[in-house]
Amino acid sequence: MANSIEVLVPDIGGFKDVSVIDVLVKDGQQIEKETPLITIETEKAAMDVPAPSAGKIAQVKLKSGDKVSEGSVILLLEADNAEPAEAAKEPEPKPVEPKVVEPKPPEPTAAAAANAVEPKPPAAAPAATPAAAPARPAAAGTPAAVARVDEAAFSKAYASPAIRKFARELGADLGRVKGTGVKGRITQEDVKAFVKVILTSPPSAAPAATALPKVPLVDFAAFGAVEVKPLSRIQKISGARLQASWINLPHVTQHEDADITDLEAARVELKAKAAQEGVRLTPLAFIVKACILSLKAFPRFNASLDASGENLVFKNYYNIGFAADTPNGLVVPVIADADQLGIFDIARILGEMSEKARAGKLKVKEMQGGSFTISSLGGIGGTAFTPIINAPEVAILGVSKSSQKPVYERGGFIPRLMLPLSLSYDHRVIDGAEAARFIVFLAKTLGDPKALV
Amino acid sequence: MSTVEVRVPDMGDAKDVKVVEVLVKKGDKVALEDPLITLESDKASMDVPSSAAGVIASLEVKTGDTVSAGALIAMVETDASVDTGAAKAAPAADVPVREAPASQGLDLVVLGAGPGGYTAAFRAADLGMKVTLIERWPMLGGVCLNVGCIPSKALLHAAKVIDDAADMSAAGITFGAPHIDRDKLRLWKNRVVTKLVGGLSVLAKQRKVDVVRGEAKFVGPNTLEVNGPDGLRRLEFKQCIIAAGSESVRLPGLPDDPRVIDSTGALELPVDCKRLLVIGGGIIGLEMACVYDALGAEVTVVELSDGLMPGTDRDLVRPLQKRIEKRYERILLKTKVAKLAASAAGLLATFDGPDAPEPQMFDRVLVAVGRSANGNAVNAAVAGVAVNARGIIPVDRQMRTNVPNIFAIGDVTGAPMLAHRATHQAKVAAEVAAGHKSSFDARCIPAVAYTDPEIAWVGLTETEAKERGIAFGKGVFPWLASGRSLALNRDEGFTKLLFDKESHRVIGAGIVGTNAGELIAEAGLAVEMGADAADVGLTVHAHPTLSETVAFAAEAFEGTLTDLYIPKR
Repeated sequence: MANSIEVLVPDIGGFKDVSVIDVLVKDGQQIEKETPLITIETEKAAMDVPAPSAGKIAQVKLKSGDKVSEGSVILLLEADNAEPAEAAKEPEPKPVEPKVVEPKPPEPTAAAAANAVEPKPPAAAPAATPAAAPARPAAAGTPAAVARVDEAAFSKAYASPAIRKFARELGADLGRVKGTGVKGRITQEDVKAFVKVILTSPPSAAPAATALPKVPLVDFAAFGAVEVKPLSRIQKISGARLQASWINLPHVTQHEDADITDLEAARVELKAKAAQEGVRLTPLAFIVKACILSLKAFPRFNASLDASGENLVFKNYYNIGFAADTPNGLVVPVIADADQLGIFDIARILGEMSEKARAGKLKVKEMQGGSFTISSLGGIGGTAFTPIINAPEVAILGVSKSSQKPVYERGGFIPRLMLPLSLSYDHRVIDGAEAARFIVFLAKTLGDPKALV
Repeated sequence: MSTVEVRVPDMGDAKDVKVVEVLVKKGDKVALEDPLITLESDKASMDVPSSAAGVIASLEVKTGDTVSAGALIAMVETDASVDTGAAKAAPAADVPVREAPASQGLDLVVLGAGPGGYTAAFRAADLGMKVTLIERWPMLGGVCLNVGCIPSKALLHAAKVIDDAADMSAAGITFGAPHIDRDKLRLWKNRVVTKLVGGLSVLAKQRKVDVVRGEAKFVGPNTLEVNGPDGLRRLEFKQCIIAAGSESVRLPGLPDDPRVIDSTGALELPVDCKRLLVIGGGIIGLEMACVYDALGAEVTVVELSDGLMPGTDRDLVRPLQKRIEKRYERILLKTKVAKLAASAAGLLATFDGPDAPEPQMFDRVLVAVGRSANGNAVNAAVAGVAVNARGIIPVDRQMRTNVPNIFAIGDVTGAPMLAHRATHQAKVAAEVAAGHKSSFDARCIPAVAYTDPEIAWVGLTETEAKERGIAFGKGVFPWLASGRSLALNRDEGFTKLLFDKESHRVIGAGIVGTNAGELIAEAGLAVEMGADAADVGLTVHAHPTLSETVAFAAEAFEGTLTDLYIPKR
């Protein structure tokens, strides 16, 4: 007998109000377990939500364009086999990260101040949890919207001219202030409380960005035929984050050449063995390994500034992100706990994640929690570049194309395979000398294959 | 012979400036404007010219001293013949104006001394700014005080007295036909204006606002050229508020004849006006029609659209239209003046429209078809300020134009062209110029036609609400049931309040009847405060007053009104 179960949106990495961009099934359709049901789009990636079990769809409960969060009902499914209990359990939220899901309505413990903020932008409230901010940078960015005033809502706010003048002076968006006066009238105290909440939220990149001088507008069509195409969705998202990092972090880039002649020889030697295990052993795998050794020797490079900007958060884990070039744009999959992995495992995961990235199948979780990032353009070319730090990380390693170069050694030039490295670092956290020491250490490590295998 | 003090002039905000050179010594003979000392601030060096001609009696500064505005430089023994000239020719502010680079320009120049301009100048001065106010006419006050609101209201009062006196015959009080001495009436009206305008000059002096007479045009991003009675003069400014106002639109194709007049001409009360044609059935045209009608002229009003006072709720206009239809010679709607021919006998108007009469002869034609903004008249574009095709300068909520140090306020920023809008914008502009974070944030601006009966409205109109599909509730109280109105011998007025359907807050109001312009203020406050129907209805209004009708309209909406029986729907 068929059991009707509710299929819910699974844990999607703490994102809320995510858009449903496609509904892939319809009422009455027979589906297999793992059949994609809907496609949702987070700030980082699009992902399919698979069916928890096989069965017949009784009723689809949402449509394209809806916003969903973890636990939202996707559809009613008449499950085929007799494991309804398990099926129903699977999609249930099982948060892995520390709980940052805020209580739905503000609890009595929440200050009256919090009460004054209408819970319209859902990301604003959790942003107040500083510990959660590094893990969820997207949330921290949202209070930026506060700086802008919704004039239509402002013009309807239940507030007298004097209160409106006060709000204008402070730049407070009255449309978002909840009045505590008679019949919900907005009082001066309400405006103050609203502003206080905004001010105590962690600082975000965007307000600074709004103060930047604008790039001049040019009517390109005046100079010849043009064609306008939108940026890809990922580019729109990564663009804002790259700009935030570029504006907020004082970047310095340190360059060095690593002699990987011996490493390359070792890699070629191991390649066949790796291939037997179905692993493509790339130089990047060794670079990941070398980076972990360097990060252990220089823990500041594996740290982040806390919300106050006055403390360093040292991480006792080594999650290495690597920039992956995909048809849709730049994504950064993260190899979790890479220090626990052998070189073959690293190589395998690199291969798998790159494949998923290109296919747009990376899960949100697979792009979170990085502590250091590598951007390798060595497969393409170039001699050096200045990568932008994947904030709130504090450093990023850029890798360019290796080439044979004459190296002066013991009275003569000998050809060596040299790998150009470019290390960008957050100068607030890392001194120049320390960066130089790090990159020299890294280069030396790369020169010593024994340490890496 | 007398001895005068020569002091360091106003140097903008420069203080403790170094004397780098003393150019004269005791006993030297100096002419007016001869340089005495050279000062060097962190921005520029400048010579201080002598404000008097004569012989240096004593020198009070030496090289290396630091001085500020007002410091004594020298005593000069003058010969009497140049004394007066010297005093006149050296207004202190001239010195930095002529010599200083842009960064040292005047703090704030306000262009135009109408209600917006003088308000901005005074507010800025009160906030500690050094303000220069430029006006092309000899009198401050602009159109409003000199040839607009104020003189027209004086004449409308006269008209009302005439009409009221005549109306009292119904109550058994009959006066003889009034003897109207137009010259004396004109003088009286002018005295009203002079009293107000004179007051303005005093206010400017008390605030040390420097008033410059002349017609100003921008000649650069920080420079104005003022063509005044004293010749051409350049002013450098740091910030500028354009309050250049508007002027009557002239209709093309009308003869260039002194008998074709605008509102300014109409206020001059030509003595021989027996038959007046008013082109334009808007507020200004109808107000002047009211005056001339009371003074005994035959009035014809011609309006292009299908109703008087286009844009105003029809129900508000109806009582006015009913009254003037009876009194005036003709009201021609959907009609235009196809031709106007001037001859010694008068102005022959040919009409074009469904009810157009035969060509008619008038001895005055008042053109009141609207006003156009003066954005182009001051060459704002030269300073980089955007001016649209209709001469309007667009501004943001802080009254800034697209050029951050140049503001614009009042009629020059477009509709509604009303003095009370200008004065509120003026304060915002002045405050922002002085570094405050002010914004123009009014939710409603009242409009008043001082016709008889008066028509006033504020906030959302019923017409607009219907056009925009806004759900609203309505409370109307006809003055037929107002004891006060009946006692005033009038019964045609009514008070109408519009409410938000859900919150019951007042979102608009329209009033027609005696003193509607005064009564509308309460509705404006209600809109701004977000007062709802109960707030207004439960406020005790004095009885018997016309103001009661506002509360009654709220009660009519609430269903608590007892002065009328309104069956429940």
